[in-house]
Amino acid sequence: MSRRDFLARSGGAALAVSAAGFLLDACASSGQGSSTSATSYALARPGQPVTWPVAGSEVIAGGLRPEQNATLQLYNWEEYVYTKVVDAFAARYHCKVEITTFGTMDEALAKISTGQVNFDVFWPTVDVVGQLVTGKFLRPLNHSYIGNIDQVWPQFQNPFYDQGWHYTVPYTVYTTGIAYRKDHVTQDPYSMPNGWSMLWNPAYRGYESILDDYREGLSLGLLRNGLTDLNTTSQAQITRAKNSLIELIAMDKIQINNSYTAIPDDQVWVQQAWSGAIIPTPSEMPKGQSPSVIGYWFPPNGRGPVNNDTMAILSSGSNPVLAHLFLNYMLEYSNAMENFAWLGYQPPQRQITPASLVKDGLVPSNLASCTVLPSYFDVGYRELELSPSVNLAWTDAWQQFTAGT
Amino acid sequence: MYATEAARSQARPGTRHPRWLWPSLTMPGALWLTILFLLPFYVALAIAGGTFNPLFLNPVPIWNPLNWRSGYLRQVYSELFGAHAYLDATVLRTLLFVVIASAICLLIGYPVAYFVARQAGRRKGLYLVALVAPFWVSYMMRMLAWQNLLQGNGLINHALIVAHLITEPVNWLSGMPATVVLGLVYGYVPYVIIVLYAGLDRIDPSLLEAARDLGLGRARTFLHVTLPLSRQVIYAGALITALPMAGDFYTNTMLSGVPTTTMIGNVISNSLSTPGQGGEGAVLVLFLLVLMLAPMIWYVRSSSRTAGGELL
Repeated sequence: MSRRDFLARSGGAALAVSAAGFLLDACASSGQGSSTSATSYALARPGQPVTWPVAGSEVIAGGLRPEQNATLQLYNWEEYVYTKVVDAFAARYHCKVEITTFGTMDEALAKISTGQVNFDVFWPTVDVVGQLVTGKFLRPLNHSYIGNIDQVWPQFQNPFYDQGWHYTVPYTVYTTGIAYRKDHVTQDPYSMPNGWSMLWNPAYRGYESILDDYREGLSLGLLRNGLTDLNTTSQAQITRAKNSLIELIAMDKIQINNSYTAIPDDQVWVQQAWSGAIIPTPSEMPKGQSPSVIGYWFPPNGRGPVNNDTMAILSSGSNPVLAHLFLNYMLEYSNAMENFAWLGYQPPQRQITPASLVKDGLVPSNLASCTVLPSYFDVGYRELELSPSVNLAWTDAWQQFTAGT
Repeated sequence: MYATEAARSQARPGTRHPRWLWPSLTMPGALWLTILFLLPFYVALAIAGGTFNPLFLNPVPIWNPLNWRSGYLRQVYSELFGAHAYLDATVLRTLLFVVIASAICLLIGYPVAYFVARQAGRRKGLYLVALVAPFWVSYMMRMLAWQNLLQGNGLINHALIVAHLITEPVNWLSGMPATVVLGLVYGYVPYVIIVLYAGLDRIDPSLLEAARDLGLGRARTFLHVTLPLSRQVIYAGALITALPMAGDFYTNTMLSGVPTTTMIGNVISNSLSTPGQGGEGAVLVLFLLVLMLAPMIWYVRSSSRTAGGELL
């Protein structure tokens, strides 16, 4: 019995496997949602933008004063915001700020879905926005507090995954490419017909790694096979991607981890990596070694995995005004850039140009390819929300790979 | 008369303590076990027999055993024993790692414990402190230290190159089963030593003296007296390391991360953090528990026989 069969039989969900959308039968266990009627929502795609419903009563009024003697609760990835920038916000608005962290988005969703958390601001990935809105865990935004939205790239002022930006504002943009050590790697990925196949080279056996993320890992397998639908519902394509990854086990003894120090520590020579994680790596190089040996490959035409993270306000938080002000504050150019200088993940600010990032020392010249361009979002491939049954087909394939079969 | 009988039933002859006193002293321990073992165990059962949140795919326990579902159980069964099973190799690999690592732990631990128990003399306390010292540093930090020592430009490769034992650095962290096994040994050997020490220290010296008086040499005294008397404690030491080792996922994550060394603990950890696989993770937790029950029962029966006087 496959996991998909189990899902279908378990009575938990009535499913439509298409990419267009899916049905959820009973949200009784989804925290605040108590409806037992069937609910459906469309899966957001660039060609199929989604406007989420907004209940007017949930939007806070404009012009309210920030909450007094308040502690703004942030719920974020580990080390994903510069505390100095956060402290400056606390000083500006005379409040305290507490940061609680999570290790994976699933861990965060599990906690939020209990409905027992009091976090104000959350950093959801694009692929979970639909779940959070449908479960009524997000508070609709009052745009009058967030004037700095005009600082970001136009496509994020009306993104396909949240038309009218009713629930989210953009935080960072990133590509998923291949980081490599030029002192060990003899190939030039830019001259290869398929740069992704660099990982399938036994010359780097024992010194390769891929991200510990089932979407990213299997997407690599798809790209290796020339398949570019990173949200595929085809079992045959998922199996093909899995088999390509399994090849890596025997051929290259591939490691699975998200370590951003493995490249500077010389433990890994070729690594599937996020652009934002690679930008700070030269500063981790041991003394006496040149940081310029680190390279990052992403298809120069932008046809590779590209995505963005967002910020949103949780409905369970008790400081909605401060939360709105925080979102606006983080979109302010100077704050966004100070955060970027520490974090390495690029904010989609209009004033940024690739040349300015290198010139200002925010991106090392040997890693200029880590810069994300707005045009990438027109031609790149995005990993987006999957229907539950398709998602289980992906996780099933990933488990078979990681189990070392 | 009834009052007198009631009073007798409340107190043992010759004592002033009521009969309920001693059982009641077990209450804190019983409560502790209930809260920290039985309740989580029941939660694992409820998740294994439960369903999932259709929106977030996280597990939703079913508390009434009459309503438990068998979907996750059948799912895991097919992954372990079905036509397309793929977890069977992971389980066998885990058992192999655990058996080898436990055996090495015993081989290293026994002489050390024997020395401290029988030969250390007045310095016994110092040695015991030295044995406990590794516990002062967290397991994570110790594994991180090994990562640094074993990496390409780490001290171990440097030392081996200087000693002309190798010419090129060895990539110890690239999925070498030996690295994972030695990591397990390093992590768990202090537990074995302390258990072995406790047992060896309790052996009555007069028994050893009697053996010597009867003409046995040191080696034969060890083989015919010390070793048989420490058999139970060897079993206990092996069990105490094997049980946590079987569920260990951190050592492999830190010292390998390559699928060829994946242990069942890694599969459980991944399942519990992957949407839609929480129930499967719970079934695997219970499977591991059942798997480990066999040596535990064997140990309990074996120690009962010993207590009955077979060995002592």
